[in-house]
Parts: sequence; C-alpha cells; structure tokens
Amino acid sequence: MTAAARPGRSILGVGAVALILAVAVIASLALGANPLAPSAVIDALAGRGTSETAFVVWDLRVPRTVVGLVAGAALGAAGALMQAFTRNPLADPGLLGVGAGAAFAVALGVSLFGLSGAGEIVWPAFAGALLVTMAVYVIGASGTGGAVRLVLAGVALGAVLSGITTAITLTDPDAFDRMRGWNAGSLLGAGLEDLAAIAPFAAAGALLALVLAPGLNAMALGDDVARAQGVDVGRIRVGVIVAVTLLAGAATAIAGPISFVGLMIPHAVRWIVGPDQRAVLPMSLLAGPILVLGADVLGRVVIAPAEVPVGIVVAFVGAPLLIALARRRTARAL
Amino acid sequence: MSPRSRLVLASAAGMIALALAGCTAATAPEPAGASAASGTRSVEHARGATDVPEEPARVVTLEPLELDTAVAVGITPVGAAVAGNVTSIPAYLGAEDVAPVGTVPEPDLEAIAALKPDLILGTESRHSELFEQLTAIAPTVFIASQADPWRENASLIGEALGREDEVAELLTGVDDECARIRDEYDVAGQTVQLIRPRDETTLSLYGPVSFAGSLLQCVGFSIPDQEWEDGLQADLSPENIASARADHVFVTAADVADRSAIPAAVATAFPDATLVDTSTWVSGVGPKGAAAVLGDIERYLSANR
Repeated sequence: MTAAARPGRSILGVGAVALILAVAVIASLALGANPLAPSAVIDALAGRGTSETAFVVWDLRVPRTVVGLVAGAALGAAGALMQAFTRNPLADPGLLGVGAGAAFAVALGVSLFGLSGAGEIVWPAFAGALLVTMAVYVIGASGTGGAVRLVLAGVALGAVLSGITTAITLTDPDAFDRMRGWNAGSLLGAGLEDLAAIAPFAAAGALLALVLAPGLNAMALGDDVARAQGVDVGRIRVGVIVAVTLLAGAATAIAGPISFVGLMIPHAVRWIVGPDQRAVLPMSLLAGPILVLGADVLGRVVIAPAEVPVGIVVAFVGAPLLIALARRRTARAL
Repeated sequence: MSPRSRLVLASAAGMIALALAGCTAATAPEPAGASAASGTRSVEHARGATDVPEEPARVVTLEPLELDTAVAVGITPVGAAVAGNVTSIPAYLGAEDVAPVGTVPEPDLEAIAALKPDLILGTESRHSELFEQLTAIAPTVFIASQADPWRENASLIGEALGREDEVAELLTGVDDECARIRDEYDVAGQTVQLIRPRDETTLSLYGPVSFAGSLLQCVGFSIPDQEWEDGLQADLSPENIASARADHVFVTAADVADRSAIPAAVATAFPDATLVDTSTWVSGVGPKGAAAVLGDIERYLSANR
C-alpha cells in the first residue's frame, strides 16, 4: 500500500479541485454562445437585466449548470464505484448496461409512443436503466463468479439492447432524428423541474456510495480477504449495483448518455488522493462536474452562434486529457 | 463551375439532345433494350446522358422532390423511397398504391427491382454509388443535389418524365399563386423567420434559398440576414434565439396541434409562434408541397389580417 498518499498533498488536492469546480461553475454561468458581458450576467443573476439576458442566464445557463453539476457528480461517483467494485481501472458505469437500457427505453418510447420532448424522455430513460440493471443482477448474481459474472451479464445484455436500439433507429430515421439530441448528451434537455424530480435518486445513490466506501476498501484485496475481515461481500455487491444504477440512471435520464466521465474522473482522482475509497468517492463527486461543465462551456463557444452537444465535447476533450495524464504518471493501482 | 451553372448547362444540352431525338425518332430503329411500345429520349443529367422511355409508366423515385413532382404531373410512381421504414408516403400527396422501397438515404434495391420499373429517379449527392446498380434495373436519372434550387431540379424531373411543359406550368402556377397572395395581403417589408428545432442545443433557421424560405419570400416577406450556409440554413444555440426575432415566426413540428413539442427556449422567446407541418414545409419539396405551404401561408395571413 505504497499508494497511501501523503495527507498534506491530499488536502491541497481537495482544495485545488474545489477551486477548479468553482471556476467551472462561474464559467458555465458567464460564457455561452451569446457573448453577454460579465456585468450583464451579474445584473441578470441579481434580477436586474433585460428580458433577453434574464432568459439566457435564468432559463438556459442556470438550469444547464445545475444539471451539469448533478450529472457530472453522479457519473464520477458511479465510475469510481464500478472501478473499485470490479477491481478494473477500465470499468465504467456502462458495463452494467445502464446506458444501453436507458437508450433502449428511449428508442421504444420515441418510435412506439411518439415521445419527442426531452421532458417526456426523462422517466422512460430512468426506468429503462433501472429495469436493465435489475435484469443484469438477476442473470449475473446466480451462482458464483462475483463481479466478473455481473459485468459479463451487463455487457452481454447491453450489447443485445444496443443492437435492437440501432435497428429501431435505422428503420425509423424519424425516431432517430428525435433521439439525436438525447443521444448526443445535452445539459439543456431537462429543465429544473425534471431535475428536481430525479435529483433525490442521485443523492440517494451518492449517500449509498459513501456508505459503501469502507467495504470497498476491504474488497480491494479480494473477496476472500474482505470476508475474513468480516465484510458482507454479497451485501456490498447489491449496494454497489443499486448505487451505480441510481447515479448513472439519474445522470443518463437528465443529460443523455455522456460517456467517458465515469471512466476518466476516478483515474484523475486516484492520482490526487490515492486509492482509499473513502477519499476517492467524495472527490469523484467533486471532480465529475468539472469535466462535464468544462466540456459544456467549450461546446457553447467553439462554433458560436451554434453549439456542440456536451457528450461530443466530453469525448473530444476527455480522451486527449486522459492520454496526457497517463503519459505523465503511471496509472494508479486500485 | 457551380452546381447550378452545371445544371443549367446540362439542361440546355438535354434540350438540344431532345430536339435532335425528336427529329430522328421517326426513322431511327428502336435501340435494343428500350421499352417495347414507344421509343426513347435521351436526358442529360448529373451522371451524363441516359435514354429514358418516351412515356415512362412504372417510375420509382428515391427523393421526396421527385415523388412530389411525379405525382404533381399525374405520373404516380409505382415505388418511392420514404423517410423511414415505418413511415409511408407523405399524406399531403394524396397518392395511393405507391410501394415504399426503403429509405431515402438507403433505398432497397431488391424492392426496386421487384417493381420492374422503366425509369428510376435519384439524387447524385445521396445515391451516387448506387447508380450502376440502379441502371442495371432500369434507366436512371439523377438530379445533382437536393440542396440545389428546387425549381431547377423539378424541371429536370419533368424532362425525365416527358412532362416538361406540365412542370413549367406548375412552376408558373406557384409564381402566380405567390403574386396573388402578395397582392392580396401586402406583407412587403415585414420580416419572417422559419425555425426548425433540431435538438435541445440546435435550432436551424431556414434561409432564402431553402424550399419554404423561397416561398415565404415570394409572397413578399423578407427573411432577416443570418450567417447562412449557402443561403439554405443557419444553426443557432438557444442562447441566441433572440436573433431569430421577426414580425412573423413559424416553427416546424411533426404535429401542428401539439405545442408541447416546441423546445422550451423557442416557446419562451416566441409564445405566439405558428406551428407548421414539417412534412410539407421541410420535406415537401416540389410543386404539390409548394401549394400546401402557400395554402398554410394564406390561411395564416387571412386569420391574422
């Protein structure tokens, strides 16, 4: 356990991450495809601006910032849980079929029931994520085999559902057109009302994640070692699945399938705080929104007066960032 | 050479070829492989010259404009590529017994061959790599691009169908209808904006060269300047929705009765926006679609007089 980080550096790291997060939030409120002056943004926030600036700030930037905070935190924590649980640094929430289940439910809803607005898609997406991970658990938890069996079940079911989703969208391009916005990942889809309805699920998932952290630390050395330490491995496993489903399901429902955050954030966090899950999980909650909000802000300004959806920017920005980080340091063991 | 001038040149060449063919048709022996009863004409199009039947009877169209134009001149195609596999021929055409043959981006060659067409109409920019296979099924004529001005495309389709005069008449009819609406309602100097919501982050404004944009202008509206791509459309972030402000705002929708489908940004900025049918205003390119759009415009104007 050489990885136990020096406490001084950890505290410095937490401070730095919190500061960057604050900067990201301010940038998300201040910058956009509409080049408002900072003073105009402040006026609008204080309730003094013109109706146009009030609309841009209160109807667009504030909701998307809050959605970005919730979705980013949820994705970061879900990724950290999955990597700890599978003891695989390449794991992400998608391995349990969360995204595939949500996308499948959305495709069905759009093509069969003609759902179109982002608000109509939130609940089917969340329900799809829940149902599919439940199915994954039922298939994967029978017999022994632990996390590997669950992941195999998740990947298999996810692949089948993705295939069907692709078939639906290819045979019905109209549906695909309406799904496109959701598919690309967008912080503008869900309004504050939908967010308020979904956020409690994400919060419950985050709490559960923090409760699971000590048990996950024990499991890092193997299920047998954990059992010897008196940890109920089966209960932790159920807990992780429930938490990941709540976190990733909520994030996918309000922002669409944003990939890469769950994979990358825990890596970056472990480089800062070491492998202790009691530090990794809360830090992932803090760091996830930085990537999501940063990518969203970038997407708003690169092709102004139009925008690039956040899911696309995250992949563009995240991949080189991860490569750069990986080249600078050796990947931190779990 | 721009696509447009190429097209004009091609049409001109086609006209000459047609004239020559007309002179010699009486004496020339029937070319092998031509449809039994009547002779053929040569049509110059995006992929060169093709001999098409004098009176095509079994037409397959791969582009909405071609379907619309064919129906408008009274030649109901036996098959048409449609927007999606679960959707059918657009209702506004009022055409029945048109077999769907795959989607516009991915036509189904087997379904097309099974219909035994004597003429296939497609689009170079979409179906370029299918040309040889389509030609093996039946003589095939391609318009260059669906993004070119629709009147020129419609004229070429009229030529391929042997109904140039009818298409010319229909296009004149559109102009006359425009002029009539322009005279009756006098909207000169009033601005108009046509918004197509793509997804949460992208709103497309349609420009003066676009199908519906050209019709809005021909009845006398003016479309405020944007950073148009080829005059066709301009994409906007919802943050910049205010720059789409105009005296009259139209928003495309799949169901004009369902206002809940309007994205929140558009609904907030333009609570009085008028919903118009995507299947005619965006996809209904052609003389029949134009008549439907002009009908919508007149109904709107008379209701808001």
